[in-house]
Amino acid sequence: MLTLIVWWLGILLEALILVQALRGGIFGKYPLFYTYIATVLGVSVFLYIAAQMFPLWYRKAYWNTQIITLAVGCGVILEVIRHVLAPHPGPARFARWAAVIVFAAIFVAVFLHSFFLREWMPAENSADLERDLRMAQALALFVVVFLVFYYRIAIGRNMKGMIVGFGLYVSVSLISLTLRLFVGSQLSPAWKVIQPASYLAALSVWTVALWAYEPNPVAKPPVGKAEYEALARGTRAVLDDGRSSFKRTTPS
Amino acid sequence: MIGLILSLFVGVGLLAILVLLARRGNPRVEGSAQQLVEARQTLDMVQLGLLPRDIVERIFATQDLEYVTRVAPAEVQRAFLRERKRIAIAWVERLRSSFVKLMRLHRAQARVYPQLSLRKEIGLGINFVALLATCGALQVAFRLRGPYAAPRMLETATAAAARVCMISEESLAFLKTEPLRPLEDRARGSEAV
Repeated sequence: MLTLIVWWLGILLEALILVQALRGGIFGKYPLFYTYIATVLGVSVFLYIAAQMFPLWYRKAYWNTQIITLAVGCGVILEVIRHVLAPHPGPARFARWAAVIVFAAIFVAVFLHSFFLREWMPAENSADLERDLRMAQALALFVVVFLVFYYRIAIGRNMKGMIVGFGLYVSVSLISLTLRLFVGSQLSPAWKVIQPASYLAALSVWTVALWAYEPNPVAKPPVGKAEYEALARGTRAVLDDGRSSFKRTTPS
Repeated sequence: MIGLILSLFVGVGLLAILVLLARRGNPRVEGSAQQLVEARQTLDMVQLGLLPRDIVERIFATQDLEYVTRVAPAEVQRAFLRERKRIAIAWVERLRSSFVKLMRLHRAQARVYPQLSLRKEIGLGINFVALLATCGALQVAFRLRGPYAAPRMLETATAAAARVCMISEESLAFLKTEPLRPLEDRARGSEAV
């Protein structure tokens, strides 16, 4: 029953976020994020119907659709990099490279795994695959947040909510999937509650943070050589003026 | 097994940094000309006022201690050591706060620079952390064992400070102006009638 309530609430919040985005004209500002929400909404409705009508088929459908939402979820990280780091080209370059390296490493690891261990098939080991991809997402998000702190980058309410919500879901999923591999099937009942609950928490954060459009604070443009020279010229003129006045008052 | 521990570590680390992000207020929007000029002034102050070898040697010179120990009564020796300790702690505190300010301003400038060098930034970060740790250790040593407690550590701190200064100097090079000519040269031919 609890699972069903979480499910309905999730669908309700996803629909609310999308409706509010369309009403407030925010959809176009964060297209990758809202595409993710729309995909998850579609998948949630589809899985709900599947669970009611074809319960045996549901389990397989769950993992396959999970991989789809996981892949679309990478767009949220791109959206964050695009908005938070775009006015800061140096850190943005670092974040892009970190994301490319992390995702490439994970895909190479999955490829090598399935190549050398013939019995290991990504489609049949979806939990492993999800954990690996969550790991890549977590590392990429970690790099972005670290750069935000290190370079003291100011971020708006929308972006902060997007990062905190997605990060919460990714980290809880990563921890619970890892513990599931450690502990085994004993954790399955807890996992069935923890993961949807963390997603529900993420949806609640997004609903509040993305209710209205609030862009990132605009950084002042960097000082250029020309700007500095103009400043120095002005200061020097004032100094020269002061010096000549001083000279006039000095007895010879 | 290592992979599983690493996954847990990354998951918990991400959660922790998200809590900090959620609690953080927005930093001041930086990058203005005035702040960069301020960075230049801080750097000059560190290079010319805190780090020159003769100043450091004078503050921590053992010859003064030897002289006072040889000729002065115990009460004067205690007063001398108390005073030197105060100066040594003040010197480290000033160095530390100047570098915190310099790094903050360096990062504010570096983030808008497209050709940011990852190697240089990592090097600077490591030097900065090492410098702060050394300053902290020096302060503890001075407080517990007096101003002559850690000469080796003092050398490490000044060397790390010089390295940080050198990197900051490169990134703030464009703010270096030609020195003004002396007053006599400038005033010649423009005297009041």
